[in-house]
Amino acid sequence: MLEATGVTIRFGGVVAVDALDVMVRAGEIVALIGPNGAGKTTFINCITGAYLPDDGQVYWKGENIVGLTPNALTRRGIGRTFQNVASLHDLTVLDIVKLGYGLRHSTPLPAVVLNALRGRDPVADELNETLLHPLGLADFRHVPIQSLSYGHRKAVDLARALAAQPQLLLLDEPVAGLSSSEGRSLAALIRRVRDRLGCAVLLIEHKMDIVNSTCDRIIVMAAGAKIFEGLPADVQVDPEVRRVYLGEP
Amino acid sequence: MSGTRLWITFLVAAAACVLALMLGRFGAYLMHAVVIASISALALNLLTGFCGQISFAQAALLGVGAYTAGNLGNAGWGILSIPVAGMASAASSALIGLPALRLRGLYFAIATLAAQFIFDYAFKILDPLTHGVSGLLIKPLTILGYVVQSDQAYAVIAIICLFVTWLTMVFIGETTLGRAFLVVRENEIVAKGMGIDVARTKLWAFVISGFFAGVAGALLAFTTRLASPEAFGLSLSIDYVAMIIVGGLGSLPGSLLGAAFVTLLPELIQRVGEALNIADILSAAREMAFGLLIIVFLIFEPRGLSALLHRLASRSQTNIALKTPQPTSERRRSELGLKLEKVE
Amino acid sequence: MYALQLATAGLAIGSVYALIAIGVVLIYKCSGVVNFAQGAFVMLGAYFTYAITRLGLTPVIAVFLSTVLMAVAGAATERLVLRPMLKAPVVAIMMVTLGVLIFLRAVALAVWGPDQIAFPKLFPDGAIEIFGIFITYNYLTAGSLSICLALAFLAFYRFTAIGLMQRCTADNSRAALAIGIHTSNQISLAWSMSAGLAGLGGTLLATLNGLSLGLSDIGLIAFPVIVLGGLTSLAGAVVAGLLLGVLQAFTDGLVTPMLEGLLRAYTTIYSVGALQQVLPYALLILVLLVRPQGIFGWRGSERL
Repeated sequence: MLEATGVTIRFGGVVAVDALDVMVRAGEIVALIGPNGAGKTTFINCITGAYLPDDGQVYWKGENIVGLTPNALTRRGIGRTFQNVASLHDLTVLDIVKLGYGLRHSTPLPAVVLNALRGRDPVADELNETLLHPLGLADFRHVPIQSLSYGHRKAVDLARALAAQPQLLLLDEPVAGLSSSEGRSLAALIRRVRDRLGCAVLLIEHKMDIVNSTCDRIIVMAAGAKIFEGLPADVQVDPEVRRVYLGEP
Repeated sequence: MSGTRLWITFLVAAAACVLALMLGRFGAYLMHAVVIASISALALNLLTGFCGQISFAQAALLGVGAYTAGNLGNAGWGILSIPVAGMASAASSALIGLPALRLRGLYFAIATLAAQFIFDYAFKILDPLTHGVSGLLIKPLTILGYVVQSDQAYAVIAIICLFVTWLTMVFIGETTLGRAFLVVRENEIVAKGMGIDVARTKLWAFVISGFFAGVAGALLAFTTRLASPEAFGLSLSIDYVAMIIVGGLGSLPGSLLGAAFVTLLPELIQRVGEALNIADILSAAREMAFGLLIIVFLIFEPRGLSALLHRLASRSQTNIALKTPQPTSERRRSELGLKLEKVE
Repeated sequence: MYALQLATAGLAIGSVYALIAIGVVLIYKCSGVVNFAQGAFVMLGAYFTYAITRLGLTPVIAVFLSTVLMAVAGAATERLVLRPMLKAPVVAIMMVTLGVLIFLRAVALAVWGPDQIAFPKLFPDGAIEIFGIFITYNYLTAGSLSICLALAFLAFYRFTAIGLMQRCTADNSRAALAIGIHTSNQISLAWSMSAGLAGLGGTLLATLNGLSLGLSDIGLIAFPVIVLGGLTSLAGAVVAGLLLGVLQAFTDGLVTPMLEGLLRAYTTIYSVGALQQVLPYALLILVLLVRPQGIFGWRGSERL
């Protein structure tokens, strides 16, 4: 569904991403790994419209999405989470998740008014059950996110992205900053999201245990180029990967 | 906002109307002055408080509303003059907002300053529409043939408009757009990354805010019976910015408080001055007090009156206990099609 | 010939604008604050000069003293009002300078009243003719004094030790602090120099336009000047000030009569009023749309 071919991004003289080909099929969980500075985040930012590639194409379900705004991408079913979750004044967990939902689904105005008058909030109830509960956020739904721990805030960010029902979820280091048990829960959740929602996931990650247990396929990058692509079991034995990661000759 | 809160708001508005009818001329005049200022403050609050865009052009938008309503009213359009004036201001606001979409905070503020001066100039020049510097004389409002003369009646009409404005603002807060406003205010880049269409969101803020500014302007036109460039200059814009800051940026009740404060302060100083027999330097004293108050407020209570009252009112703050939630193992089915199990 | 005449007058008043605008840029560079109260400083400087001459002192001393007083006022404003607000959001800081503007205008109103006052003659009457262009001593002195001061200030900023410290603070106040520059003093200095320049500009404007509260509005001309010149460029402020002065003169002398002729022929509109006052603001918007960083500014230098 996502097909990036020959994507090249240069910053001045530095080639951050070098003729990268990445493909993600529907329902796949693909990990993008590599040492720091390999160009993983740059590539993701290119898909989400932050950078324009100097070369190459990015196709989503057959449509060229290079240069589209995040808003346009959200409406086409691509969502992403962020590493640094901004604290947004006194917006509550529910506010943020509802916002995520509202970016993709618009409730007609008369319905909004009627529901408000009757004191009912079917959208909030829905989101609460399906997203907040599983993520452990149900008790915090009226808490401003700036009072939450980093782990909880990342969970809110994930809920926000999921509320828009994406078909491709881009995760930038989702378990960074989480304890190992939180990380494992999140990994399990990612698998569940794919199983139930049919959502494909492209994630950047450093923790190999998470990557190995979660992903269908791994792409290894170094210095902007792809040096390996394959199953988790094969990654560890590939000589090139070992050279890049472990310094073996 | 639930049905009960709606009823409460309605009752408060109704009580205010009753009060207005019972007041003498001066009391009713004060009332409608405060109410009209509140409508404009709420409008500016939407733009500046919720959406983070500082605007010094508020008076210009009220002017557009006033001149439009004045001309339409004189031509016999009656009560329709008010919403149409709102639309004219909304359009002007969008006009100011469109170029501003590309500008950030500070540059935007300066741009609105320039816009205010340009509109000011237009009011003075476009003689056929505005009668230039001498101003446009406006006949009283007519509703279905009945001529509205008394201050009390105008106060009631203003209260009704405020009621509608308030409800709109509250409802906006419940929509995706309203939440988007807040995120755009906090951090535009994050908003964009989340998938919010920042340009459209800002434009909506301009249009909605402009509409209610126009309504306030229309009401001003009918109550003061004159629209002149002087009345809608930079100092009025600054007044409104002061109102929402003193009241509390982003706070709806704060806008009302700020409007009341800024409108009634001159009157209060007038009374005090008359009592102490120092009527001479009063207008200057008023302005001085005004300037000082803005400064003091911003230094000590930047979140405004509403925050101050909030702190005083809630002595015992309940600490939100961040306990880990107890897991349940029910599988929930949903209409959205998501079936997710609780994570243990 | 007429055009040259206009241009000369325009250059003269433009240099006064430049002087005022330099002040705003100075503060902005140093502390990231846009000083909306600059107009008030302009006005106050003129009133101080007037008051001091009323005390019997000679005009020269009056001008000097008023500039010094304004410098003190500037530093005082910074210490009393801006210093407590270091951590506040941009909105609040902008508003607080507006509060200062309102307050100072009210003080002037209370002390000197709302009417226009005859400003004491600082320069001899009469005019001289240079290459066929008439210029009054007033305009000549005001213009040359301003441009000399502006250039001197640029030189000071560029070549002296204090100027260097100012530039360091402006560039990166944290780094400046780290290398031992007393940044808060530098900021106070920037404010007092800015207010001094504004006060002087006000005095000169008053010799040309008369003394009234309206001087604070004229002081707002600093904003189109700095947008045109670039919010962070001192040289830009000078160039833009001169440009706008000339633009205003041409508008007043050429464009307005022409437009009015046209309008009177085809519409019922009789006059275009103070077109030269509003033109800078229209230009401001145009510049913001087309090239927000101005002539000399850097892209992305606006702080949010």
